[in-house]
Amino acid sequence: MPAAPLPEFSSSVKLKYVKLGYQYLVNNFLTFLLVPFMAAVAVELVRLGPAEIIALWRSLHLDVVEILCMAFLIVFVSTVYFMSRPRPVYLVDYACFKPPNTCRVPFATFMEHTRLINSDPKSVRFQTRILERSGLGEETCLPPANHYIPPNPTMEASRAEAQLVIFSAIDDLIKKTGLKPKDIDILVVNCSLFSPTPSLSAMIVNKYRLRSNIRSFNLSGMGCSAGLLSIDLARDLLQVHPNSNALVISTEIMTPNFYSGSQRAMLLSNCLFRMGAAAILLSNRPREAQRAKYRLVHVVRIHKGADDRAYRCIYEEEDAEGYSGISLSKDLMAIAGEALKSNITTIGPLVLPVSEQLLFFFTLVGRKLINPKWKPYIPDFKLAFEHFCIHAGGRAVIDELQKNLQLSPEHVEASRMTLHRFGNTSSSSLWYELNYIESKGRMRRGDRVWQIGFGSGFKCNSAVWKCIRTIKTPIDGPWADCINRYPVHIPEVVKL
Amino acid sequence: MTAGGRRVTVFAKSTAVSATPVRPGKTYPLSSLDHLMGRHTLHLVFYYRPGPTLDRDGLKESLSEVLSHYPAVTGRLNRGEDGGWIVKCNDAGVRLLDARASVTLEEWLGSASAEEEMELAYWEPMGDDPSIWSPYYIQITEFEDKAFAIGLSCTHMHADPTCATLLVRAWADSHRRACIAYAPFLHPSSATFRFSDLAVKSLLADLQPEASPFSALAALFWSRIARAAGVPPGPGDLTLVVDIRKRMHAPLPHGFYGNALHFSRARADLAARVARVADELGRHVAGLQEEEIWAAAEWAHDRRQRGEEAFQMYGPELTCFALDHVMAYGAAFEEGEGGRPAHVSCRVGGAEGEGLVVVLPAAEEGAARTVMVTLPEEVAKAICRDDAILRYGPTVMFVGRG
Repeated sequence: MPAAPLPEFSSSVKLKYVKLGYQYLVNNFLTFLLVPFMAAVAVELVRLGPAEIIALWRSLHLDVVEILCMAFLIVFVSTVYFMSRPRPVYLVDYACFKPPNTCRVPFATFMEHTRLINSDPKSVRFQTRILERSGLGEETCLPPANHYIPPNPTMEASRAEAQLVIFSAIDDLIKKTGLKPKDIDILVVNCSLFSPTPSLSAMIVNKYRLRSNIRSFNLSGMGCSAGLLSIDLARDLLQVHPNSNALVISTEIMTPNFYSGSQRAMLLSNCLFRMGAAAILLSNRPREAQRAKYRLVHVVRIHKGADDRAYRCIYEEEDAEGYSGISLSKDLMAIAGEALKSNITTIGPLVLPVSEQLLFFFTLVGRKLINPKWKPYIPDFKLAFEHFCIHAGGRAVIDELQKNLQLSPEHVEASRMTLHRFGNTSSSSLWYELNYIESKGRMRRGDRVWQIGFGSGFKCNSAVWKCIRTIKTPIDGPWADCINRYPVHIPEVVKL
Repeated sequence: MTAGGRRVTVFAKSTAVSATPVRPGKTYPLSSLDHLMGRHTLHLVFYYRPGPTLDRDGLKESLSEVLSHYPAVTGRLNRGEDGGWIVKCNDAGVRLLDARASVTLEEWLGSASAEEEMELAYWEPMGDDPSIWSPYYIQITEFEDKAFAIGLSCTHMHADPTCATLLVRAWADSHRRACIAYAPFLHPSSATFRFSDLAVKSLLADLQPEASPFSALAALFWSRIARAAGVPPGPGDLTLVVDIRKRMHAPLPHGFYGNALHFSRARADLAARVARVADELGRHVAGLQEEEIWAAAEWAHDRRQRGEEAFQMYGPELTCFALDHVMAYGAAFEEGEGGRPAHVSCRVGGAEGEGLVVVLPAAEEGAARTVMVTLPEEVAKAICRDDAILRYGPTVMFVGRG
């Protein structure tokens, strides 16, 4: 029989204060220990008096040699300590591609094209249902080649799209940061589905006349989580090369990937994937610390490819009629949940305050030793982070993560609004979401951001950034002309 | 012409959408007159000589801009409950065809047959499903010499030649503004010409005694400025700005505080005598209909509702402002004759392009007027020395930059 409401309420309020008290106590445990200790020492010193202290010092009989050895030891130990610390990696600034209005794809146009190109009524109904519930808005964009009836996916059109999105993002970044192309030491490009020869990184080196001793890398085939992979690679390179700048480009080229068949599992990507790109400037130069926006704190990579189900869950293949497309399996959400759990388990000890870790540890021990029926404790990540950027893979992904991490609607607002305004832009979506948070003026100095990306493999990668200077609005970016309209209410189903 | 070979090839079909999304849910039923035209279709072709800003991508961009103002054009036809047609403004876009012609514009104009011309305006009749059929087809054909032909086909139920032409004119305006906005307005100079009562009366006597001082002066300056700017003689456009306080059926009081200006475009043949031009202008101003004024006000209101920024109202073409009814000289700070202003100037900030001509009252009563011009430096210099204007002995003041 349910308990009476009033006692429940008062007991939950008491529980809240108990929890708060517990958190303060455990997280500042050392301070609590240290304070009485220092007080005791101070009292003792005061009691002894200056003359007695000097007498104590003289009685140690230290001569010059011993003092010099001790000083040398201290200097040696501190040098080893400072040299072995990892170089800090700063995110100086980043720029996202803003698609031109002529590339806009309203729902009506999308459905019309689908019906004109592939008139299978079942596929049409399926895509209509997907679009209605997708959480996308009327301003998402596809590249020009996809506006043709039928679409025109030539290699030239793919290169044109790559040039349009990548060069716009880089030009914006150069304008924002004053970066000189000759100053770029490391270049990492990730684009999963389009991999021409010469590579996209070679295309950038050619266009901007980068140095001949540049360290360039082109990552292809690594899915929607490749953005954080590139950041990880750039970070590792910046540990090895001092005083360097790294340019990271995350994008997905839509032109070659329009699926013209009627397999439902493959039609999903047509409905959700849209055009986008981001250019990020990372640096380990000490003077960049003054103007950089963020510092990279952690990157955690989880690869579930060893499990067959996870490996086949996002799979590119040809259907029975020979049309190639990306097939998404029905297990996708379950597999994403498992990958997320692994990621949380790894990142938890790195970011959570001690109070949450202890609770988690005790609940785990209790479940193992005392009673397996205890509910597993889900640590409260809201204590560890102020902002969350969840890959805008689709409405289901955001809903699932919101439930699993117990996040409020405000925390997932950036992800939902990015999905609405720009669609699923694959690896660059995390940067559009970060830009949303900055455009709303919510990013303050000291805030921590958690970026979570999912992708084929199945991979779940996350990055933790710490904001090192408050970002003042208005800022220039893809949200500049529409941020005042957001947040919008996104209905469950948009009737088409 | 090669025997049996077609000179026009349509190589791509796409859909052009508006730059801003349409607010969902707007529908409007077609009227009985519209339904009457159900059997007919409209085909317009506009030919343009090659120009520096004329290219396919630029045209598509300005088309998207213009379609934001015509939600009915990007909508689709559906059958209503009573069996009649309803336009559902669902933001689907218009069909756009890209084509190429293998001849130059001159060859085409000299030799194309009527059948061939129809190839420049692609058309597909309504199929089984009207909800995925675009009532408008726009074709952009590029000739060998980079000249362009814009073909517009639509069902006569949707539009008549006037509004179809208005759509293309709006498209052209949007394209021009997009290009001219980046053209540098080099060193604007201004000058003030004070015409005495006798001067204006003699001007009127030369042109047409019935003309108003405003239309006479506007016509005189327009023709001289066009000549100084090197514009070839022929039909020209002038943007006229008039006050509408007293032109409405329910007139606004003279004391109405706020913008009550109407911008309209007047045409006249600059190759003709100044008297003719003055006549045209006078007729234009007198003939301004209240409907036009309300339409412009609604357009402005819609723009504001959409949160769009202020428009470049003064410019880029030559703009002429009729302010001579303003009782500026009645602003007397002291009693008696000495209190009236000795001179009144008026400038408009942010005006760009070919220039601005403002006709103001002058200190002297009667037909005296002050004309202030802001023009590109060279043209302003030429006007200050122009004989046709200096004949009437105006006092030239405030010449220089700014």
